[in-house]
Amino acid sequence: MAIITDQPESPDLPDSSGPGTDLEVAAPDARGDDSPRTGVFARPTHATGWREWLFTVDHKKIGIMYGALALFWFLIGGLEIGLVRLQLWAPDGEVISADFYNQLFTMHGVTMVFLVIMPLANAFANYLIPLQIGARDVAFPRMNALGLWVFFFGGIFLNLSWFLGGGADGGWFAYAPNTGMSFSPGHGMDFYALGLQIAGIASLLGAINLLVTIINMRCPGMSLLRMPVFTWMILVVQFLLVFALPVITVALILLTFDRTFDANFFNVDAGADPLLWQHLFWIFGHPEVYILILPAFGVVSETLPVFSRKPLFGYPIVVLSGAAIGFMGWGVWAHHMFTSGMGPVSVAAFSATTMFIAVPTGVKILNWIATMWAGKVRFTVPMMFSVSLVAMFTIGGLSGVMHAIAPADTQQTDTYFIVAHFHYVLVGGALMGMFAGMYYWWPKAFGYHLNDRLGRWHFWLMLLGFNVTFGPMHIVGLQGMARRHSVYGEFDGFEFWNKIATIGYFFMLIAMVILAVNIFRTWGRYRRGLEPGAGADPWDGRTLEWAIPSPTPEHNFDYVPVVSDVDDFWHKKYQPDETGKLRRIAYGNDIAQLGDQHPHLPSPSYWPIVLAAGMPLIGFGLIYNLWIAGIGLLLLVGSMFGWTLEPATDPDAGHGHGHDGHGDHDDDRGAEKHDDSPDGHDDHNGVLAAGTANGEAAGD
Amino acid sequence: MSTRFARRCYLAVLALLGLLLTGCATGRLDATKPIGEEARDIDGLMRLSGWMAVGVGIFVAAAVVTIIVKFRAKPTDDPDDLPPQIHGNRKAELTWTLIPTAMLVFLTIYTLPTVFALASEGDGRTIKVEGQQWWWQFTYELDEDEIDKYNLDPDGRYEIVTANDLVIRTGEEVNLEILSNDVIHSFWIPQLNGKKDAVPGRVHHWRISSDEPGIFYGECVEFCGLSHANMQMRAIVLTPEDFDRWMREQLDGQAAAQEAPADESPEAAGAALFETHCISCHVVDGVYESAAGGNANLLAGIAPNLTNLMSRTAFAGALYETYQTGPDGEYLRNPDGSLKLNVAELREWVRNAPDMKPARADNQQGMLDFSEVLTDQDLDNLMAYLKTLGSPPVLP
Repeated sequence: MAIITDQPESPDLPDSSGPGTDLEVAAPDARGDDSPRTGVFARPTHATGWREWLFTVDHKKIGIMYGALALFWFLIGGLEIGLVRLQLWAPDGEVISADFYNQLFTMHGVTMVFLVIMPLANAFANYLIPLQIGARDVAFPRMNALGLWVFFFGGIFLNLSWFLGGGADGGWFAYAPNTGMSFSPGHGMDFYALGLQIAGIASLLGAINLLVTIINMRCPGMSLLRMPVFTWMILVVQFLLVFALPVITVALILLTFDRTFDANFFNVDAGADPLLWQHLFWIFGHPEVYILILPAFGVVSETLPVFSRKPLFGYPIVVLSGAAIGFMGWGVWAHHMFTSGMGPVSVAAFSATTMFIAVPTGVKILNWIATMWAGKVRFTVPMMFSVSLVAMFTIGGLSGVMHAIAPADTQQTDTYFIVAHFHYVLVGGALMGMFAGMYYWWPKAFGYHLNDRLGRWHFWLMLLGFNVTFGPMHIVGLQGMARRHSVYGEFDGFEFWNKIATIGYFFMLIAMVILAVNIFRTWGRYRRGLEPGAGADPWDGRTLEWAIPSPTPEHNFDYVPVVSDVDDFWHKKYQPDETGKLRRIAYGNDIAQLGDQHPHLPSPSYWPIVLAAGMPLIGFGLIYNLWIAGIGLLLLVGSMFGWTLEPATDPDAGHGHGHDGHGDHDDDRGAEKHDDSPDGHDDHNGVLAAGTANGEAAGD
Repeated sequence: MSTRFARRCYLAVLALLGLLLTGCATGRLDATKPIGEEARDIDGLMRLSGWMAVGVGIFVAAAVVTIIVKFRAKPTDDPDDLPPQIHGNRKAELTWTLIPTAMLVFLTIYTLPTVFALASEGDGRTIKVEGQQWWWQFTYELDEDEIDKYNLDPDGRYEIVTANDLVIRTGEEVNLEILSNDVIHSFWIPQLNGKKDAVPGRVHHWRISSDEPGIFYGECVEFCGLSHANMQMRAIVLTPEDFDRWMREQLDGQAAAQEAPADESPEAAGAALFETHCISCHVVDGVYESAAGGNANLLAGIAPNLTNLMSRTAFAGALYETYQTGPDGEYLRNPDGSLKLNVAELREWVRNAPDMKPARADNQQGMLDFSEVLTDQDLDNLMAYLKTLGSPPVLP
């Protein structure tokens, strides 16, 4: 098969332990239960049932759980905004109170940004990054699990506010001083500040993990400019997260101190300038926009070439423009503050920088179009979502340029024109991309396709509902309808388009019901044997995840692949004939790995979920009683000790792990005292790290 | 199924577009119908950028439609026959980097003068604008010419304080000093100019003007808490003669408010009730002054100054009309041509304000509920007193 071990390509690797290094040789490595163990508590064995999911450190299960949680919160966030849409059905709406309305739009924004789109991107990143770079797992599997569970508890914590006096009511942007204790005396904003803090910890853990994974664990031959664009975009996003999250962390700490300990960071009477919050929030908040959209750009950069049966047009340019967006995203934050009174020089500067961030974005769109141009485009469900991203995101991008013009923005900002703009970006862009990814990678993750017919219904209702909902908001926005107003007047002339928008919402709701039906029905049919398996390479894919069976075996790769080109797997299937024309030489399903090896895998762990459970307790403690925080802290610190002292491996697994090629070294280092590879070296490090270096040399 | 369904969707979208072109009833806040000079400048930029965006959008849409129609894989295609494998084209990349860059350079150059023009000061009077939860206050300080013109004591300092109604003169470029007394608000009268935030601790300068007399509606557009939606205002643009009359009547109202009502009259009873229940928050110039000059325990000044209440077209954050209006928002008049006071809603507002506008009076955010405190008789007396405060508004 085309994918081979690294030996021939890297003869001078210092630590490769003989031929077939990645093949599991079970017998000599097998240990009984008598091997020394250093942990204080037993480590879970390869559990089954729900334990398998709770204590897993497998990046694929973690990815799937991120996705499932994101879809659950998507349902909640969607239902929240449904009430808002009903309230706006008619002038002077009386469906819900102003207070509840403010909580709903705040929690809708917070939920959709932090609990839906970010974790959806995380789901794909977690599941796919190791597969796309030819690795067995992420760099720090337990930390990966910790990120998931911290996110899990953070989301629950944030939403428990609904049952403890009401959700946050200060808008997702939480402008000071309106979010201070004197103006928002309920606990909603406390839950907001602490809940986002917890969710931020989760994102930071994930970001560091993925950064290390992408930089260090690429398979031999995969230089940076041979990485799939999805991996590239995720890499850019993780850099953005690592630099942006500390800013919101600081801002939220200031807010929490103001609210909990009567500090004066945003107390105007004590000399504070409330613009401090705005700067901090948007220095995080604008890169956050790219954190939300770039993963979707990555997804369509995968799907468009596959379904057009052409390589991505201008691969290096698409990668570069993604990175450029990431860089330029740091210089535009104050365009959220054109009316805040910064002074004309700042306004002019940020107006200009904001306009020019449209250049790399436009370049991407044109490259995607060129990718499809003159192709043989197969309009599968993932492709339909991908093409709709190109079209819908363009609308959002263009209205974005319109409010880069600062004077125009003084009319548009805080109206529904902005609401329309960013929903075209985040629903038409990010969410469409995520749906494309769902249908595209579903067979890889679960082994069968989602139903095509239901998928098409989902797509068309979504596209229709989305445009019917958010299209009219451009119009009412320009007609002066302000955001975050719980009512509008009968003489404002907003009624007609609001009715249309509310109708559109229900189309989208039905689309989501169809998606849910699709997921559960197809799953049930597959379990009963009524759905055919998808095979390793159902779409004639280009990247490494299609070179392994579907669903992905627990160990991902039998052999560490070696690549020599962008879209290496594609080139294993198509080669130029004597006339130079590409001809098929193999079928993906035939040349894919068999998934029949059984290397050692990292053992599950109790500690990530236990440690994560400490965080909401600390949050409750800061709100209600510091003693609860003490318990949470105890749990947190205790789990850290448990984590460190955890036995290195599952003694019942019966596999050695000298040759597992698995990135479990955060588990194994230190605690591991009986490494039995010939030279006592954890050779997976050697293979992967050296392979990377090797690949980069080849790439240069 | 999908193509037929797609065609239906397409038709639905077309029908919607038709509606968009024909049935656009616009309301009071329409920024695309600019009146003020500043709003017209902004509108020009919006239209230019809007049309450019539409142009680019049509280009991309046409490309996508072409791909869908022309480059669709056909069932008859040989699945192993690949389309031309083009990896990129440097000239194309350069072209579609440079053309958008050029367009954006043009837009930037075209935009920047307006940014600075909007930040410049006008040559008209200065009005202090204060936002607070959830109403706007406007303060006019009389200059020497006006003091002279209205025969006032030249050594005195004269201010007119009003709420919700921002009265200005046609053709005058009014400078606004925008402040906030609590959280961040944003001042916006779409047909006159864009927005400017009112940030506590800062003074922001903004300008409005109109050559046409009229009533232009506005509202707070920075989320400011519970009743954010109900923090409205209106700019009443009067001809110079009308503006002069308005100012004279405001001054007369200040003087009249200081005359005690006749003993035993309902007005006197109302004044007594007002003194008991209202002056801890409300000010009447020269009679019930603000906390700064009196009892520091009083909160006077956190609620509208009521000296010329009757001269305002609206109350409760411009949520309710002071005078009765018809189905199209036009003012109803008595046979003698005078306006009809909206007694019912004003009375109800005094009785139970939180019921008419979301508020959190227990947290000093909004007016208290007096329904348990004031009897019907009390309310009648209070209304009688309130009616003495100022003369009817001067309408454009």
